[in-house]
Amino acid sequence: MHEVAVAQRIVEVLVDTAGRHGGGCVRIARLDLGALTCVDPESLTFAFDVGCRGTCAEGCRLDITRLPLVLRCFACGDEGPRDGPVAPCPRCRAIGGEVRQGRELRLTTLELDEASRAEGVA
Amino acid sequence: MSEVAIQRDVLSDNDAAAAANRARFRAAGTYVLNLMSGPGSGKTTLLERTAERLRGRVRLGVIVGDIQTRRDADRIGQHGVPVHQVNTGGGCHLDARMVAAALDVMDPADFDVLIVENVGNLVCPAEFDLGEHDKAMILSVTEGADKPAKYPLMFHESRLMILGKVDLLPYVDFDPDAAVADARALNPALAVLRLSSKTGEGLDAWADWLLQRMRQFRDGR
Repeated sequence: MHEVAVAQRIVEVLVDTAGRHGGGCVRIARLDLGALTCVDPESLTFAFDVGCRGTCAEGCRLDITRLPLVLRCFACGDEGPRDGPVAPCPRCRAIGGEVRQGRELRLTTLELDEASRAEGVA
Repeated sequence: MSEVAIQRDVLSDNDAAAAANRARFRAAGTYVLNLMSGPGSGKTTLLERTAERLRGRVRLGVIVGDIQTRRDADRIGQHGVPVHQVNTGGGCHLDARMVAAALDVMDPADFDVLIVENVGNLVCPAEFDLGEHDKAMILSVTEGADKPAKYPLMFHESRLMILGKVDLLPYVDFDPDAAVADARALNPALAVLRLSSKTGEGLDAWADWLLQRMRQFRDGR
């Protein structure tokens, strides 16, 4: 629901990072997105495409890696991916576990095109 | 093309602003609660009743977030509590920078307890640390017992869940045990209070919880 705010923040990070690496264009940005975050990938991609316009990240592709929810069972300690936060543990059938993965909203790597700087595109 | 590894949390700026808020609250000795829920579940009414209960016992202040209008601030302010309204202008949640700006008006040193009433929304507010000490949420019985499973994050992040509007339980198909069981599957330590701002049920327990958390905060727990 707050994808526009998240997208704007991502664009700020891209522009800042590109500036500190010589001012080229950002072609690809890779984002880890956990299943428990309240961010919809499609809405985020749309807001990102719009937010990039007129910046050095215009036309940048946002590669989103969905990270599944991983819980460690409160009852037996079994750790693994789950369909949802109240899905039963596959080993002991207990419900509920510590969230080990699923809260991520993290930019991991960017692909920068330095050549575009010489062309004056940036 | 060259690859640059950045490994950066997108919300890291918010987290830094939240940490600064938290440091400010600690220096002022102010306990801060972030109150969240879906729209229409009774946050503002509960805060009106809270203002009445705590009058003369602690110095209470309220920061209210809404997309538009200052109606909530006006309602709470009628009960003699300093209130500051934040309008997000379309934003679906409060973030730490909005709260920091509000603190220029609401000096934490003037309050023992500061409650931040977040924008009515069962989804996004849970994602943003404001620098509060605790998050609490209301799930009103008219919303349905399936909400913890459908919108897990807020239940996962909260210390207290208030089951609100329990005076309406005879009229709705809401299974409180099922709702609590699902919420505790997400968060085993979650405290639960049954409350009705209409009849007054649970208001004493709520005030006690709030004052106990304030004292625990002061004792460094």
